Amino acid sequence: MMGTDVATFATDEHDPATAVTRLAAMGFEFGPPRTVIRSLLETFDGRLYNAGLRLEVRECDGLQLILTGEGSARAQLIVSSIPRFPGDLPPGPFRARLVAVADVRALLPVLRVTATRVAGVRQNRAGKTVTTVTLYEHVCVDDHEVAPWTIEVDELAGYAKDASKARDALAQIGLSRLDGDTLTVVAAAAGVNLAGVTGPSGVPLDPIMPAIAGFRAVLAELGEGIVANWQGSIEQLDPEFLHDLRVAVRRTRSVLAEGKKVLPPAILARAVERFGWLGSVTGPARDLDVHLINWTTDTDPLAGDVVAALEPVHLLLKQRSEAAHTALTRILQSAEATELMTTAAAWWREPALDDRGGVDAERPLGKIVTKRIARAHANLINGGRLIKPDSPPDQVHDLRKDAKRLRYLLESFAGLLHETPRKAFVRRLKAFQDNLGEHHDAAIHVAELRAVSHELHLGHASSETMVAIGQLIRQLDQHRIATRLEFAEHFAAYDTKATQRDLDAALARATR
Amino acid sequence: MKTLATYSIKGGVGKTTTAVNLAYEASRSGVRVLLWDLDPQGAATFFFRIKPFVDGGAKRLIGANGSLAAHIHATDHPGLDLVPADFSLRHLDLHLDDAKRPTRRLAGLLEPLTGRYDLAILDCPPGITLTSESVFSAADALLVPTIPTPLSKRTLDQLSEFLADYPAPPAVLPFASIVDLRKKLQREIVAALATQTCEFLPTVIPNASVLERMGVERAPIATYAPNSPAANAFRHLWSDVLARLWK
Repeated sequence: MMGTDVATFATDEHDPATAVTRLAAMGFEFGPPRTVIRSLLETFDGRLYNAGLRLEVRECDGLQLILTGEGSARAQLIVSSIPRFPGDLPPGPFRARLVAVADVRALLPVLRVTATRVAGVRQNRAGKTVTTVTLYEHVCVDDHEVAPWTIEVDELAGYAKDASKARDALAQIGLSRLDGDTLTVVAAAAGVNLAGVTGPSGVPLDPIMPAIAGFRAVLAELGEGIVANWQGSIEQLDPEFLHDLRVAVRRTRSVLAEGKKVLPPAILARAVERFGWLGSVTGPARDLDVHLINWTTDTDPLAGDVVAALEPVHLLLKQRSEAAHTALTRILQSAEATELMTTAAAWWREPALDDRGGVDAERPLGKIVTKRIARAHANLINGGRLIKPDSPPDQVHDLRKDAKRLRYLLESFAGLLHETPRKAFVRRLKAFQDNLGEHHDAAIHVAELRAVSHELHLGHASSETMVAIGQLIRQLDQHRIATRLEFAEHFAAYDTKATQRDLDAALARATR
Repeated sequence: MKTLATYSIKGGVGKTTTAVNLAYEASRSGVRVLLWDLDPQGAATFFFRIKPFVDGGAKRLIGANGSLAAHIHATDHPGLDLVPADFSLRHLDLHLDDAKRPTRRLAGLLEPLTGRYDLAILDCPPGITLTSESVFSAADALLVPTIPTPLSKRTLDQLSEFLADYPAPPAVLPFASIVDLRKKLQREIVAALATQTCEFLPTVIPNASVLERMGVERAPIATYAPNSPAANAFRHLWSDVLARLWK
């Protein structure tokens, strides 16, 4: 149950009138029946659920958001419309709690329940409500009745005995107590997965299985990740769909790159080319997404009048983003893209009998993967040690790609590795990647803003705007330089014996 | 969790009225609120129709094994819970004096509730006592209802001088309370306070009969007179406070 002390009862054998009569005899007073719509909002990947939160929309005499959580008091907010993003809510702790968990993800309706509600309250002699009960009849999901009726007893803090009496009374007339409140019960009955769609959870892998079987299983799971985020990217429900799609594509490309001697050469060559294409066509829209997501943080240090003067820049970036997404949508809906997903699924799930693998196809998966991960780590270390303060940007960019490749291998083949040292290793790697990522994002944003600046200049933007964009570019460029200067420190923190120890321990399971 | 105390050296300035109505407005805006009635008169407890009873009395509550959680009562308003007061709180200073680190004791009792609530509102008795000092250590801000009299500025200055010795004093947020807007002198004093006092909140709580009706209705003003000037004033006051607590 999610933070509220609600006990739910139901039975197939009784008319709800029996329960109402019994409670009325105890002093409960019931209001008139009302139609209520109760919906659950959740991010695509179940972030609220996984953080122990539940966000309900209740429609009955207005619109209310109810946020509950384990060990938390219930928070209730009256709204005029259902928010699409947590950031659409008014400032305050309600919004802050949701933003902290959901970040930029959209709040999507995952369950919508309609019912006839009858509320009952029992008050003490001072006129204070000590227990509330709620009867739900004709409980429907998508016009299909999933439960004839349920009754909830809400235990109010400080009035446990009163709620206990009501629960006992309902149990005495033969009602069964259900696990969770009405929404939880209905979600289970309707087959709604409140945990959302998660990223690759790690396919079951065995170190001694043939390498080709392991690679195919991993690629199939990554393909599912791409498909899961495909429609959300087209509809632009939130920027994370495209982000997750691109991560799945990059992981796929990393696995393909390591599968040169494992996968059938003809399939491999085609897949490398096709997923490379998918990676490149999704890049521009994502770069602009990141730019817009970071806009507030990037402009925060600037004075208010400078930020105001930057509004045309913000607008232009939004227009560019819309254009990039429109182009991307066309691509994702094209026959070329659809064919890629269909074909790839066939490659990984149903390999043609004549698709013979590479020379390492039948070797044990554990040995192949261990060697690849160790080599990727060694490449990263060697590459990092070669980088000096005056090394060209391309060298740092290549190192960033090496780091990503290693990370994706560790995540894609997580099922082969010892979990604890793998996580410890990934934490170190991630800290290093954060520095490389910040540097990269700043460089991309500076380049984009220079292009925007040129466009605005040609469009005769105001001098205030031109000065402001100059300030923003300078600030981001300073950040780019600062992150580059911090590189050595971050790399040194990664290039340690402890990192190597964690990696060796993580790989030990795969080489047993 | 933020902690806000309705506090004044003077009595009868509208501390409890403010605590009750602000707690209600906060809960309506999606904030999880715990109102702790620290005044042995138990007026806030009365307004929410909750029995004035602290199990084991103030001594057990303040003692080493004391816990607030066991004393929490739901009000009739979602998102708003209350820790009631009873007459045993008249000895709160004595029990605090017996406790280890007495000025940190109230903060210590609130700390375990951090994940459960967003805002604790402490409705304080008047005066500067050991209880007040414990409140000053626990609170992020003191909301100080100020009746417009020629001595109001002096009272606020006394409070500021007292808090100046604190290493991390709470913010002081005074506002004009129970103002008779028909009286020129009161209007002038409010205007002077607003210009002379740092962080003086812009909202003015008018003197109105709906405030007195709270004792009869035993409920926040917005529940029985939602469109009254006083209800609107408390709504605005909450907006002022929200903007300062969650900048």
